[in-house]
Amino acid sequence: MKIIVLIKQVPEMERVKFDTTRGVINRKSAGVEINPFDLNALEAALQIKEEFAAEVIALSMGPTRAEGVIKEAIARGADDGILLTDRKFSGADTRATAYLLASAIDKIGNVDLVIAGEMTVDGDTAQVGPQTAEYLGLAHIAYVTKLEEITEDYLTVVAPTWDGNYSKKINYPGLITVTKDLNTPRLPLLKRKLEVREAEVEKWGIADFETELDPQDVGLKGSCTRVRKIEVPSPVEREGKMWTGDQLREAITEVAQICQEKDRMGE
Amino acid sequence: MKEEIIKKLEEIVGPNWVDTDSERVISYSREQTNNAYDLVTPQPVEGSVIVKPAGAQEIAEVLKYANQELIKVIPKGAGTGLSANAIPTEPSIILSVERLNSILEVDEENLMVSCETAVTLGDLIEELKKNDKLYFPLHPGDEGAQIGGMVAMNAGGVRAVKHGIMRDQVKGLEAVLPTGEIVSFGGKFGKLLKNNAGYDLMQLLIGSEGTLGVITKVVLKLYPEPKATGTLIIPYQKRRNAFQTVPKILQEGIIPMAIEYMEKEEIEDAAQGIGKEWPSKEGDSYLMVILAEDKEDTLYDKAKVIGEICEEVGAGEILIAETNAEQQNILEIRSHVLPAIADKIVDSPDVTVPRSKLAEYLDQLDQLAEKYNTKIPVIAHAGDGNLHPIILKEEGEVPSYYDQLKEEIYQIAVELGGTVTGEHGVGMLRLKFLPLQLSQAEQQIMWKIKEAFDPNEILNPGKAVVKVLN
Amino acid sequence: MTEKEYNGIFVFAEQRGGEIHHVSYELLNKAEELAAELNCPIFAALLGPTGIKAEELIYRGANKVYYLEDQAFGQPDELFYKENLVDLIDELKPEIILVGATNFGRSLAPRVAAALDTGLTADCTELRVDQAGKLLQIRPAFSENILAQIETVTYPQMATVRYKEFVERKRDGTLEGEIIKKRPTKVQDQSVEILELLEQQEINIAEAEVVVAGGKGIKKAAGFELLQRLATELGGVIGASRDIIDVGYLSKEYQIGYSGYRIAPKIYIACGISGAPQHVAGIKEADKIIAINTDPSAPIFEVADYGIVGDLYQVIPRLIEEVEEDERRDN
Repeated sequence: MKIIVLIKQVPEMERVKFDTTRGVINRKSAGVEINPFDLNALEAALQIKEEFAAEVIALSMGPTRAEGVIKEAIARGADDGILLTDRKFSGADTRATAYLLASAIDKIGNVDLVIAGEMTVDGDTAQVGPQTAEYLGLAHIAYVTKLEEITEDYLTVVAPTWDGNYSKKINYPGLITVTKDLNTPRLPLLKRKLEVREAEVEKWGIADFETELDPQDVGLKGSCTRVRKIEVPSPVEREGKMWTGDQLREAITEVAQICQEKDRMGE
Repeated sequence: MKEEIIKKLEEIVGPNWVDTDSERVISYSREQTNNAYDLVTPQPVEGSVIVKPAGAQEIAEVLKYANQELIKVIPKGAGTGLSANAIPTEPSIILSVERLNSILEVDEENLMVSCETAVTLGDLIEELKKNDKLYFPLHPGDEGAQIGGMVAMNAGGVRAVKHGIMRDQVKGLEAVLPTGEIVSFGGKFGKLLKNNAGYDLMQLLIGSEGTLGVITKVVLKLYPEPKATGTLIIPYQKRRNAFQTVPKILQEGIIPMAIEYMEKEEIEDAAQGIGKEWPSKEGDSYLMVILAEDKEDTLYDKAKVIGEICEEVGAGEILIAETNAEQQNILEIRSHVLPAIADKIVDSPDVTVPRSKLAEYLDQLDQLAEKYNTKIPVIAHAGDGNLHPIILKEEGEVPSYYDQLKEEIYQIAVELGGTVTGEHGVGMLRLKFLPLQLSQAEQQIMWKIKEAFDPNEILNPGKAVVKVLN
Repeated sequence: MTEKEYNGIFVFAEQRGGEIHHVSYELLNKAEELAAELNCPIFAALLGPTGIKAEELIYRGANKVYYLEDQAFGQPDELFYKENLVDLIDELKPEIILVGATNFGRSLAPRVAAALDTGLTADCTELRVDQAGKLLQIRPAFSENILAQIETVTYPQMATVRYKEFVERKRDGTLEGEIIKKRPTKVQDQSVEILELLEQQEINIAEAEVVVAGGKGIKKAAGFELLQRLATELGGVIGASRDIIDVGYLSKEYQIGYSGYRIAPKIYIACGISGAPQHVAGIKEADKIIAINTDPSAPIFEVADYGIVGDLYQVIPRLIEEVEEDERRDN
């Protein structure tokens, strides 16, 4: 069984600063890390691997320095990893990203299951998973919160859709996207981490593809959307009444009243 | 409390800031010690009054008045103390400093921060997040703790191996003496790195547990924020081996930010208590080593050496957390150990021994456990030689051997060159064990200092120091 | 590819159990605004079992409703929906496609976009037409800290929009239009099977009248027990800001903000929530916002009707007491 885990290098969101007045993102002080949702995807793959003899491959697209996340995935238990990196891949929107990922998965071949995080913390779109499934011609289940049954032919999972939680079954080959609620990702072993730091990460550029990929469909060229500009929104204002320490008693009385006025209105 | 006292206090701080509501008075009179070690901690008396002054000037007036009328005063911070440090034993003025809660200045040129006394550790961490380069390394535990309280108690906690304890961070201090004078140490701005003018009274006030003065303002050192951090979790089958590892790591010239020790049952309880999972499934006891370095390469070089040392002493598979979220997770679990096990424990002494004696101390603890036919789990800031052996309840009660066991836990520490309190302070809980460590003469000079500051014994009486007769 | 080839605004009208979801009416409202600028028709695509009141979509502004009837649409099967939608879109060639960013819409729309080889912009908070007649799509990104303005260079231009982002098109029973009933062009395949509906979502933050929410200031998972007590007292539910979901104290169904639920309760009580723009975006429709925070400079106070500067662990127990007290007095 072969499982692909899609991962992405993202800035450490806690340290990214957003300048409201100048409308810019300052990533200077932020490091990079593996997209947190992708760790849940990897953990799911590793749990499946514990049940069956599966091969887990981490796949990412990004600049050369994104090889760090591939190493990270291997240190956490992935068997192998591939970084898709080429100047021509840059500027990709979700469509071009999904197209390239699907091409790479095709090239890897004989893949049974693709697992992705529900979204990335910098893009926030949650689109790449389902788009990749479409380009691969595979079925998908999004927002998986639980793996119920793991077999060599199919998975049954729980995922919220419409107004409830559904139990769904997906036959291989297929793709799932997973939420944070699914599991607690394991930490890497120091020993593996030290080994993998020295190792070379396999990298594929545009020249490594043959028929699996049309160069017009990747990077900026293959993107259907363009960002015109960005702005950093400032907080909305409302006229407010404030109480501080010494007026706590008064505040409690008044707020309790407000809460109950609602009650009466409601009934 | 008499009506005229209340009236006078209201005159000083304003009527909004004096509170005699009996429920709130009791709640202000209690502290974390009452929750953590409820069976052996004194209950506060009723009848105190809470006063919340606006600043040093009002504190001075309250103290002057109290000193004149001989009313006891308990300085009150966040109540996160753990040795019965601020529990009134007779009706007192509970002097809550909560309104002095501003961060005054982050001084990037001098690498220092000035704050009022009630700024919490959490506030400080939050404020420094805005700063790319500087940070405050210590993390004694509860982020609700106030800086003034942390100074008064000379707190230590988890991340003290590399940069030391609170005492090592304070460069300036303002306090109000029990007699009502406002004093400040460390030069006009409290930002001197060298200062030899007279006795170092600032260091005397640090760790004086609110018995010599009320701290109102503190200047703390800041440090360049390390670029690369990582947290190792090292599992062991035998706890002796864990403690053996500590001096070996330091001997290699590796000074981590923290070396913590904990045991499976306690750390899993703590994780569960906050809805998390302890990452290691192996072993019965763990070292948690936090590395903080300038470069990732340096970090891994050191981690590698630590890995080799651990392998020699028979540790299991070492895990490493590198993402902020995962490291934070582990630290949060560690910080939650005490509240998580509060129901199971009677007490947890706070001994420190030289780091080279850790393994030997553990052997003696094991012998004690055997002698009393019990278990003595340990949590420890192992890198500092600071241990908290745990005395467990038996069928929900204080065991009959409690006093004896506790004394022996201290006794063997002192014999190995240790102390009866490494970080939590003397408070009321450890007063009677001070003579194990301090001579008559040493205790007497301490009491003379107390008398010099507080001739009428109004400030936080019955804590930290005792009157010793000739 | 020229613009003339593509004409009209296509709204995917999501239904659940035969009931049209309200997000569809919100999309129709925006569609009407855009159609006025572009001078084009509005199509609604309703895929569902027989017996749905498709005319409701006409009363909400659709000019033509394409109603694909099949019992199999009673199940949330993205693949089956996708295949049939793509055929319909190929036939109609709309210039704009709007889909509600519900769980289902967010899972379905990317597949449709990929199948059409066109761009898709997720979770738009605003849609406008520029002078050249292109759709300008505004959306939050970077964990909702920024707003990006996006255009699509291919056709159709596709966007998803969060539930409760736009107001509903008012119902007007006099409006006329055409309902075209069709059979699905593709059959359901078996690569994904919907086995069963396990449970309806228990909490319904979006519909609650009172929401008591916690943020970073709550510091421990157990703090939500306190919030739950207040919520129960007031007949409401608890919720949380994104930080809380990210650290795992509560699951995603409690999340309020851009990427969580937009709520419009009568009373919203924010406890230890600093009030980052992404959170505020989810609560701006609340009638009354009450904020409790230790930091008097927290931005939440700028959007609150009532602010209490204080520790939630001190304020809330007293608030609970007071409410209990008042109730006793009333009885």
